[in-house]
Formats: sequence, C-alpha cells, structure tokens
Amino acid sequence: MKIPFKDISRNRKLENIIFISCLIVLLKLFFYSDTGITIYLISECLIFALFYFISLYFDDFFQRKNFVPIPVILNVGVLIVIIFFVLSVSGSAIKGKLVNTVSEAQMFFYILASFLLIGAISYIFVAFKHLFFLKQKKNPAKYFNVMVLFFVISYFLSALKHFSTGYDYLYHAFTIVSLLLISLNSLRVAWIAFLPKREKIYLIIISIVIAVLFLFSIVFSNPENYFVIALKGFSEGTWTFMDLVMIYGVIYGFVIFFTALFHLPTAEAFDRKAEEVSSLMDLSKIITQVFDLKKLSETIVTLTSKICNSDCAWLITFKGDEFEIQYVTDIGIHEADKVTRKILLEIPERVDEILTLSKSSVRITLENDVKIFNFNSIAIAPLKTHESIRGYLFAAKRTDSVFDEEDKKAISAYADYASVAFENAVLFAESIEKERMEKELEVAREIQSKILPASLPNTKNLKIASRFKPAYEVGGDYYDFFELGNDQLGFVVADVSGKGISAAFIMAEVKGVFESLAAIYYSPKELLIKANEILFQSLARKNFVTAVYGVINLKSGKVNLARAGHTPILVIKEGICEELTPNGIGIGLDNGTNFNQNISELEIKLNNTDILVLYSDGITESKNIKLEDFGLDRFEKLIQQNYLLNVENISDIVISELESFSKEYIQHDDITLVLFKWGN
Amino acid sequence: MADFNVSTRGVGSVNVLDLKGYLDAHTAPELEKVFNKLIDDKSYNVVVNFRDLNYISSAGLGVFMAYVETMRENKGDIKFSNMKENVYNIFDLLGFPVLYEFFKDETEALDKFKVQG
Repeated sequence: MKIPFKDISRNRKLENIIFISCLIVLLKLFFYSDTGITIYLISECLIFALFYFISLYFDDFFQRKNFVPIPVILNVGVLIVIIFFVLSVSGSAIKGKLVNTVSEAQMFFYILASFLLIGAISYIFVAFKHLFFLKQKKNPAKYFNVMVLFFVISYFLSALKHFSTGYDYLYHAFTIVSLLLISLNSLRVAWIAFLPKREKIYLIIISIVIAVLFLFSIVFSNPENYFVIALKGFSEGTWTFMDLVMIYGVIYGFVIFFTALFHLPTAEAFDRKAEEVSSLMDLSKIITQVFDLKKLSETIVTLTSKICNSDCAWLITFKGDEFEIQYVTDIGIHEADKVTRKILLEIPERVDEILTLSKSSVRITLENDVKIFNFNSIAIAPLKTHESIRGYLFAAKRTDSVFDEEDKKAISAYADYASVAFENAVLFAESIEKERMEKELEVAREIQSKILPASLPNTKNLKIASRFKPAYEVGGDYYDFFELGNDQLGFVVADVSGKGISAAFIMAEVKGVFESLAAIYYSPKELLIKANEILFQSLARKNFVTAVYGVINLKSGKVNLARAGHTPILVIKEGICEELTPNGIGIGLDNGTNFNQNISELEIKLNNTDILVLYSDGITESKNIKLEDFGLDRFEKLIQQNYLLNVENISDIVISELESFSKEYIQHDDITLVLFKWGN
Repeated sequence: MADFNVSTRGVGSVNVLDLKGYLDAHTAPELEKVFNKLIDDKSYNVVVNFRDLNYISSAGLGVFMAYVETMRENKGDIKFSNMKENVYNIFDLLGFPVLYEFFKDETEALDKFKVQG
C-alpha cells in the first residue's frame, strides 16, 4: 500500500504541520461558536491531516536514527507520565462544570495543550509501530495497516456520532474490532529476544510501569474529567485516538512485561550465542592479519578467552623440538612457559582433537618462588596442518566452571582457523622467498650475458665458433677473447665454482682480472700464476675457478696454453683427437706455494684443418634419464667424426647430440663450447 | 635432487666420515654441519671415506676447501680414501692431489695419521 506524502522531505512535512496547525487555530478561533456539522467535519479533517503529517515526521525521524527500542520506550514512558499527571490533576479539579464562555487565554491554552497531546499520541503510536516492525523478517505490514484503517474509521465515526446517535453502534463496533486488532498486533514482540540480558531487565521494569500508567490514565479519563471534556470539545476524533492509543499502551505494555520476564532465564544463553556469532565475524578480520603471526595469535587468544569465559589463554607454536609462546592473556609469559612444559610432558605425543584436563594443580617454580597454578579445567587444542602439529592453543579456567561442549567446539574452531592461517603465512613466506630467488637469478643471468663476448674474432686463418647454454640457476662459466696486437689473440675458458648470483659476481671479477692481465702477460703460465695471486685474496675459501688460458699467433698457428684445474684441452689433428692435460691446480685453492710449482705451459702448432676444442664440464657431465654421463669419449668421437666440417656445423652437431642425449634430464651446469679451426 | 648421507665414526683419535650418494650445492650444507660439529668437539683428524659417493660437484669440493685450513692450523688434517675412479678424476683435474693426501684404502689413511702423530 502506497502511503501518500511519505517521500516528501522532512522540511516539507514540517511546513505542512505548521501550515495545518495554523489553519486549525484560525478555524477554532473564528468559528468558535459555530456548532454546525460542516465546520466540525472540516476541523476534524484538518486535525486528522495534522495527525497524519506529525506521524509521518516521527516515522521519518525513527527511520533515520536506526531505531533502538529502549530509549524510545523510555520516551514513551516520559510522555505517559506527563499525560497521567495532567489527567490526575484535572480529575480533581472542577468537576463537570461546562463553561460556555471561555476566556481567550484559556482558549489558547486548550488549543496548545491539544496540539501537544496530538504530538504525544502520534509519537507513542509511531513508536509502537516501529516496535511492531522491529526484527520482523517477513513483512507483516498488512496486519498493522488494517488496524490503522480501523483506527481512522473509528476516528471519523466518533466525529459523526457527535451529531447523530445513529452512528453510535457503528462506532462501537469499529472500536471493538480495533481493540481486537490491537491485541493481535501486540503479540509481535520478537525483538525482545535480541536484547542483551541487562536490557531485558530494564525492559521488565519500564514496561510494567508504563502499562500501569496507561491503565490508570484510562481509569482517570472518565467523562467527568475536566481535561477529557476540554479535549472532546476540541475534537472528538482526537479523544478517540487517545483512548485507542492508551488501550494499546496497556495491552502492549503487559505483553512486553510478561515476554521479557519469561525471556529472562534464557537471556544468558542467548547472549552467549550472540557473542559467538559476533566473534565469528571478528574471525573474518583475521584474514587480513594472516601475514602477521603476532597479530594473528593475539586475535585468536583474545577471542578464545572471550568466548569461553576462560580465566587465561595462550598460544604456542613449535620450532623443531622447542616451542615459542606467541601470545598470552591474563597470565604471565614465564608462568605460561612453565605450565606448558609441565603439561606437554603429561599429554600424549600427538593430540588430534581438543583435550581437556580437569582439577589439576601444576606446580611451577618461578625464580625460587614456588607457585601453584590452580585450574579447574584446562583445554588444549592442536593447531594441525597436514600431518604435523604446528602448535597448541591453551585455555584455562581457575574457578568452578568447566569447559562445556559449546566451549570446546569454539576453541577447536579457533585452533583450526589458526592452523589454516599459519599454513597460509608459511606458504606466503615461501612464495616470497621463491620470488626473491627468481629475481636474483635474473640479475645473475644478466651479469653473465653482459660478460660474455658479443662477437667472435674470426680471421682469415682461424675460424672460431662458440656455444653457450646457461643452466637455470646460472653455473658460472665464462669465456673471452683478447686482441693483443702483433697478430696475437688471447683466449680464456673458465668455470667458477658454485651457482647463482655469487658465481656471477666472481665471474665478473675474473673477467676484469683476465682482461687486465692479458695485456701484460703473454705467457699463459705467468698470467695464470698472477691471476691466482690476485684472485686467491678475494675468493672465499670454498670458492675457486678453473681455467684454460692460451695465446694464438694468427699468422703462424702457434698456440701457447696453460691449464688451471680445468677440463682437458682437445686437439684434433687429421681426425685423431688428443687430450692435453698440462699440470695446473685450480685458481683460488692455494696462495701460490703449490700453484706456482705445479703449473706447466704447452706449445702446439695448428695446421690446416686442425681443431682446438675448449669446453666446460657441463658438456661431459650432462646426464640422461639413466643418470649416465655424456662423457669425454662420446664427445671426442663426435668431433673426430665431423672434423672436416666447418666449426659452426661441428658445434651444431655437438649441441644437438647433447640435447637429445640429456633431453629428459634438467641441465644443472652451464654448457660452454669453443672451437678453433685453422685453415688457409 | 639426489640423496646424500654422511655418518661419522671414531677410530682412535681420528674421525672417519662415510659419504654416501650425491654431494652437490643442495646437500653440501649437511656435510658442513658435520665439520662444524667436529671443530666444536676439537677433533681435527678426519678421514673422508668416498666408497659410497657417486658424484661430487664444485660446491662439494668447496666444503673441504673451507675446513682444511682450520684442521691443519690445529695440527690436524683431512685425508681422502676409497675413491671411485670417476670421482677421483674430478679431484685430479682440479689438482687436489697436490693439496691433499689420497689413499686407496681407509686403513692407509689412518696409519698415516698415526705416523704423523
């Protein structure tokens, strides 16, 4: 049912109220002596409109303020006290003397009092309306609206019966039905259940007082009451409304009283359930705290303590064999620590579900002062993830109470939630770590790619090919070429121990060292000795570098080589492969005492179609699914078989063979291949 | 990656470490833990038995490099024994035989310690 004027603004309503009030005042003043039906009916209609707009105004007011029952009921109480007072006072005043001529001041007073009364009745009525609709799920509007309709009809009938007794019967009929409807509607008191226990008690007191006041107001408002007479003179309809509202007040007041009274025994249990629900909502806040272990523990422990009314609670997590207390409430950390230790000894190794211990005393020693930790009941809930127990949630009650099923369920629920949250925190931390490692490797790969040569110094006589396949975790291989002038070309292939970003950094240093030394030392042996001297200082004890360094004369094909712990150098002459393993230990293993005395230099000469092969152990140690090595033999044979091809082709063949050999196995080390082929 | 295991046993004043499986960057920390404990216990004579070791990477080699100085400074040493050929090759290429003593069998290594005192 659409209510007209409901949606106009509050100010407009107020304007209307004032406007109508003025009209009524004018009407009453000018037509005071007129007892005709027309004026009377117009007056009643205006007064009805006044009721209407005032009610809409209060309705609006309550809607905006998100209706809270107790304060409103208190307001109703205040109003009925005033009305009662007025009625009782005017009851003992001048009885029944109808004064025909009334002074203007008195007239003004009556009208004012009537307006105030209209306001009071409207407020009370709208309050009852909102109580009716409070906490109602289904919309029972039609029941209330029918009652309102009957009120309205009764109102107008009372105005009509003022002129003709023919309406008496109808008036009484409608009034009685209105009373019936009032009674039925008074039964909607579901909202009482939702009040906290304390407010239920207030309500019991307030409602009985209000009901009694309404009752006495009705008693006092007999036809001889001066106030009643004046009011009826002002408007019969208003009196009808007031009567109906007072009866409504009595009935509703008693219903509320008895309902609240009968709700009292279960009030505490209801409050507890309500707490549980609200704490479940608090639990959802935990979602955002998942990454802060301390905050999470704090929330869990506080909620647990609140919900099961425990005297103290605390939470521990395990780190290996030791435990760490994450948060305590209402107990000292040292105390909690000692108690936990004692308890952990008593309970079984693995606690799958919540456990309660009762009536025990745990004797703990705190700094030479023996304390007895008395508890009547203690609950221990495990924080489980997959197969392991991450920690425990403890809650203890010192006094007479125990943990009932509801408590245990709640504590278990929080412990389970904590478990999931902790697991999430761990996974999150792991993923952050993984991401960090990824970033590091990215940097390492970048360093490596910047260090390696961009192009190969091919010449008329010498053709060079290189292949480089980095491992995912960056393996530390490095190779380079140095144009030394005088038709000399220096070259190096090196392998830094270890992987990742630290290997990349060392590689960068090695490049710098070799670049600088290449220009100074033309003897590979001397260069490597010098390189070891420098690098030994800066390398950690567990790090070392293997390398082969050589210088080739681009005119003559003479090559000088030295090896420091690296894989053998291969020379293919006329299809026969020879391994060259000149003495030399790795760089960085020794300060020079052993290094310098155990290094040799070789000299070879490359002829037409001769091939010189430098590589890293990433090739020979490549594994297949059966964990077999690719091996030096296979490698050598491959190059031998294809020695007549150009270096690019040979390289391609080697790499493709290597890839198909180890395709089902992840590459763990960098793969480096450098081929030199002499040819005029 | 693959598995690794190191067990310690005492023979007189010498600790023998039996290595098993694959020693690489992922499993090296386990060996480091063992060496740390030996240093804490002030046991500086170590023989590493490689009989059951199948593979060693540069990270694994690095572990020995990291601890040998401490052992030798305290009049001890790390000696190697019972190496498989492929593993010995790796050590050999690097030049480890110049820096460490390698023995065919553990008993020879233990004898060497007795001689050295």
